[in-house]
Amino acid sequence: MSTAMNFGTKSFQPRPPEKGSFPLDHFGECKSFKEKFMKCLHDNYFENALCRNESKEYLECRMERKLMLQEPLEKLGFGDLIGGKSEAKK
Amino acid sequence: MGGVWHTAWRRLFFCGWHSFHRGSTARPAERVEPFLRPEWNGIGGAERGLRLLGTWKRCNLGARDPAVQPSRRPKSSNPFRRAQEEEWRRRNKTALTYVAAVAVGMLGVSYAAVPLYRLYCQTTGLGGSVVAGHASDQIENMVPVKDRIIKVTFNADVHASLQWNFRPQQTEIFVVPGETALAFYKAKNPTDKPVIGISTYNVVPFEAGQYFNKIQCFCFEEQRLNPQEEVDMPVFFYIDPEFAEDPRMIKRVYRNCSPCCSLAAFLEQCQDQGNAMANTYDKNVEINWK
Repeated sequence: MSTAMNFGTKSFQPRPPEKGSFPLDHFGECKSFKEKFMKCLHDNYFENALCRNESKEYLECRMERKLMLQEPLEKLGFGDLIGGKSEAKK
Repeated sequence: MGGVWHTAWRRLFFCGWHSFHRGSTARPAERVEPFLRPEWNGIGGAERGLRLLGTWKRCNLGARDPAVQPSRRPKSSNPFRRAQEEEWRRRNKTALTYVAAVAVGMLGVSYAAVPLYRLYCQTTGLGGSVVAGHASDQIENMVPVKDRIIKVTFNADVHASLQWNFRPQQTEIFVVPGETALAFYKAKNPTDKPVIGISTYNVVPFEAGQYFNKIQCFCFEEQRLNPQEEVDMPVFFYIDPEFAEDPRMIKRVYRNCSPCCSLAAFLEQCQDQGNAMANTYDKNVEINWK
């Protein structure tokens, strides 16, 4: 990776995440949401676009349990899901 | 012969004598006076004395007397030549000033080059460096580019001395640029002692890696796992919509196939044409024992 002494090749520069690090969920408080999300992914051939509701619910769980800073969901890219459950994605 | 010896001895004597008495402010007349005394014996006492004085004076110049220090005078007494020499001296001074200014300027430029180059890399995104100006309101306003499907594969490496079991919970995920996505890793501490680990990541290929933005993850901070504890570690990321406009990101086009209803149907239709993905990434996460 970046340990090789090859000066000619480009090396990757890791960037810190924009909102920092997730605190660890030691007590498994959002585990059920995660299981739902993983099941959805498995069923849909790992297509993310079909499981965005479940990912939104997982992040909401985290926010409730203070495992993540409260953020309006639009800022997390779920603007189209907030309008209502009837909002269907392609 | 004795006279010669005598003369030489006198010359040395007076030279040495004068250097010992450096700084004497005796006027020239007083210095000349002993040479003109009649008790000087030998041929042509006064003339010899003055000759000695000449020698002595030459010696005098060797031992500088600050009171009679001559000022620097031009090498020639010809006024035209003197003016020319002054001109040359002035020109030399100007040239020297210019050269010194250029040298100092070069030094300054070499120091300034470091932040300037970094700025240049940031604006052009050269070498996969961070492209500045990505605020969180970009996430709010970005529009998914639905026709570019990207497969992101996940990989996990663990340092040999770290006794965690660390693996991704999904091997791959299909996303489009502009869409936020969630992925999970699982870590378990099988030992009976708490273990602290820290992780980092990289994305290959490097040119595509600059479009990979993590909103929140579990890397770069120490994470502590209690004995026999197992946790889920999420990664929340998105791929920049500008990915679709980069000509270096190859787009695979399939004959008689297009993403229509769902990926499953697309994969089914296009199975015979090979892998149904536009680009492949590997996300490597390495955990180092600390």
